Amino acid sequence: MEAAAVPIGHGHGHAHGHDAPGHDHHGHEHHGPPPANKSSRVDAPMLGMLLFIISEVMVFGAFFTAYFFIRIVQGQEWPAEGDHLPKLIAGINTLILVSSSFTLHWAEVSIKENNRRGLQAGIASTFLLGATFLFIQINEYVNIGFAPQDHAQGTIFYGLTGLHGAHVLIGLLALLTVTIRAFRGHFSAHDHRGIEIPGIYWHFVDVMWIVVYLTVYII
Amino acid sequence: MAAKLRAPGLLRAGVLTLVGIAFAAILDLTVRAATNAEPLVNGEAITLVALLAAPFFFLGGLGAFDEWLYWASGKPSRPEDHSGHGATSWKDYFRVNTDHKVIGVQYVVTSFFFMLVGGLLAMLVRAELAAPGAQFVDPNTYNGLFSVHASLMIFLFIIPVFAGMANYVLPLMIGAPDMAFPRLNALSFWMLPIAGVMMTLSFFAPGGSFATGWTAYAPLSTEVPMGQMFFTIGVQFAGASSIATALNFLVTIITMRAPGMSFWRMPLLVWANFATSLLVVIATPFVAASQLFVLLDYALGFNFFNVERGGDVLMYQHVFWFYSHPAVYIMMLPGFGIISEVLAVKSRKPIFGYRMMAFSLLAIVLLGFTVWAHHMFVSGMQPWIRVPMMITTAIIAVPTGIKIFSWLATIWRGVLHLDTPMLWSLGFITMFVLGGISGVMLAIIPIDIHVSDTYFVVAHIHYVLYGGSVFTIFAGIYYWFPKMTGRMFDERLGKVHFWMTFVSFNLTFAPMHLIGVQGMPRRVADYTEQFAGWNMFISLASFLLGLSTLVFVYNVVASWRGGTRAEANPWRAMTLEWQVSSPPPIFNFDAVPTVVGGPYEYGVPGAVHGVFRPAGQPDPHAKEPAGASARADAAGATHHGGTET
Ligand code: HEM
Ligand SMILES: [Cu+2]
Repeated sequence: MEAAAVPIGHGHGHAHGHDAPGHDHHGHEHHGPPPANKSSRVDAPMLGMLLFIISEVMVFGAFFTAYFFIRIVQGQEWPAEGDHLPKLIAGINTLILVSSSFTLHWAEVSIKENNRRGLQAGIASTFLLGATFLFIQINEYVNIGFAPQDHAQGTIFYGLTGLHGAHVLIGLLALLTVTIRAFRGHFSAHDHRGIEIPGIYWHFVDVMWIVVYLTVYII
Repeated sequence: MAAKLRAPGLLRAGVLTLVGIAFAAILDLTVRAATNAEPLVNGEAITLVALLAAPFFFLGGLGAFDEWLYWASGKPSRPEDHSGHGATSWKDYFRVNTDHKVIGVQYVVTSFFFMLVGGLLAMLVRAELAAPGAQFVDPNTYNGLFSVHASLMIFLFIIPVFAGMANYVLPLMIGAPDMAFPRLNALSFWMLPIAGVMMTLSFFAPGGSFATGWTAYAPLSTEVPMGQMFFTIGVQFAGASSIATALNFLVTIITMRAPGMSFWRMPLLVWANFATSLLVVIATPFVAASQLFVLLDYALGFNFFNVERGGDVLMYQHVFWFYSHPAVYIMMLPGFGIISEVLAVKSRKPIFGYRMMAFSLLAIVLLGFTVWAHHMFVSGMQPWIRVPMMITTAIIAVPTGIKIFSWLATIWRGVLHLDTPMLWSLGFITMFVLGGISGVMLAIIPIDIHVSDTYFVVAHIHYVLYGGSVFTIFAGIYYWFPKMTGRMFDERLGKVHFWMTFVSFNLTFAPMHLIGVQGMPRRVADYTEQFAGWNMFISLASFLLGLSTLVFVYNVVASWRGGTRAEANPWRAMTLEWQVSSPPPIFNFDAVPTVVGGPYEYGVPGAVHGVFRPAGQPDPHAKEPAGASARADAAGATHHGGTET
């Protein structure tokens, strides 16, 4: 009863549904997979990024668990005796990072209107704002006066802000590739998924910082 | 030579791994020189940096990042010519391959390799325990043996082998040409051997392998020799691999189902992997973080677990078990899916309570996050946490029980085909019920306090993980062997394998309940005279269990090379993977099939699951009317079932 076995392709050289879009086929015919059925309105890369962000949130969750155990369950004073957290500078830094979310949005809106200048300006300023944030953060580490080796509070402080800093770094690398591509003429009003997906990640990094800032510096 | 070196592949990967180690050494020396660290050359520090850096060089050399780097730098990425797809020779299994079927085989073979390594270590553990006193290893080496054994079995065998099997059959089952992200899929696979090699090589680390058990409790794990780091860092790669695969499964299931394949028409294997992937995406980051804490404490002197400076050691256990209890379901749910497939096909009956089967999977996912502290009853945590955890643990046995009863109702009055996959499935049900019973016993606080850290726990975990998970793995491997290799296995050897394993498994692990209740401690190289008799018995039985695995290996190797050719659908199953040739064509389907009914309508006259042309659209190539082949097949199944009842 294996009549059901279906012969494989007839070399139609037709659509390639499942991988990065925009391949050209140089005219020659070749054998490829049948186009996959789209069973959901959500875009696959977008969904992938959302799931990735969920697992990233869980990593932060584990670090917040550590924070919770040290600060709440054990009731250690926060920050440790004699230490001082630069709330104001970190607050300004927060504003810098948050504004980068707006410049990113500007870049996205621009390319949807086919405004390449706007895209380039928006994406480059987002990158620069993010880099400034990281620079100020490192500067804060240098001047803050305690180390992760000193006490559990220091460990948690550096752990959370460092974990976040690592995410900023990854986000910056992603933004860098978008910037390069934007200046090389990629993307258009119809093809801007390559900005949106790293963009969501960047927004996540921003929102996460607000949570870190509130828990570590403010309350 | 130069051209060969530049082309992605194992050669370039090997060279770049060496470059990576050199890079680590230089980086380390530079930092140490800059900070005036003493001594300047510190072998341990260099090894540590190399453990972190070299894998990325290896992956880069292999070509796992090539296309992404092209994309990122804005170069025109090469048109996808699918040259990374499919396998024509064995060499294609040793490169970055984007075909989910090749990746599935890569996964399964790799995990079985590490299963054999882990099994060998178990044999050594049993040899040492055959008699009281020291036989041939010192206590620390002994600790290393069981630690590496458990870690390989969990992180390199059970978890990935399920991912491998699903990789192969899941896209076929939902009518997709491949996974959603083929390159990410390839990367996920290649992180696996890195983790496995790292854990295995830990035996060569100064001070011996990691010896803290697979749980790696802090602060023990932050104060032991460097071998521990081979676990700590290895777990990061195994974990990243599983998260990436889970994400891939979820996106594939959500966005790439064939037309007509609604969620309520998905085979239960797909449901099971959907549930498992949710668990992985949410829980696995916790184990990654717990090991990151250990790494930071160990390598940089952080104070997560340093009590003198305000650290909290119980936090480790909370974070670890918040992953590792869900992990036991990560190791079990895909197996549930396999059993549902096999039982329906081999009983020629629809699954009993299909929707409840799916709902109970989701219930387990939710409840699985509420029970972690049942592993910590004796840890010294706040006593008030215990009772709620006991109650939730008892509740989680309910959805599990629903599944067991549904399976029993499925085979009830079915036309049972007692061949190898079916024997393993039935064996699974019996053994898993026993493991579940000891689990519920362990959830009861006073009992747990009594048998904590004894062989009773060892008996429990082996009944659920070996009698449970591993039996489902064997069921699945035998069931899909014809599909994956295009060959039939030797049925007689398969049965020998089952009965040998089933008997020696019980001889090995059942007595452990007894000596556990009597107080034989787990994870200790020595024990009192009192337990000598049983331990000798267990060791002998375990060697038989080891031998039974060799029967399997022989069967697989011999059948793969020279077994009779498999038909497309030797089991007369309805799910889509059986409606294409064995092994399936390179892109799975010529055109994506259309699903018109449930996957398990065995014995239901006229029932069809999938047809190979969009409903109502005639196929220009076919002589028969649309979907006739699939329908004929289902009808054949019905007819067959009918004659035997
Ligand atoms: C009804 C289902 C289950 C219940 C109620 C249950 C309960 C428990 C409890 C209370 C413990 C802690 C024992 C102790 O350390 O003192 C335990 C340990 C364990 N269980 Fe289960 N369990 C169940 C199913 C499973 C399944 C399905 C698996 C895996 C497939 C599993 C794997 C394990 C493992 C690996 C351990 C030992 C962890 C260690 O190394 O300490 N269990 N179980
Ligand atoms: Cu548990």
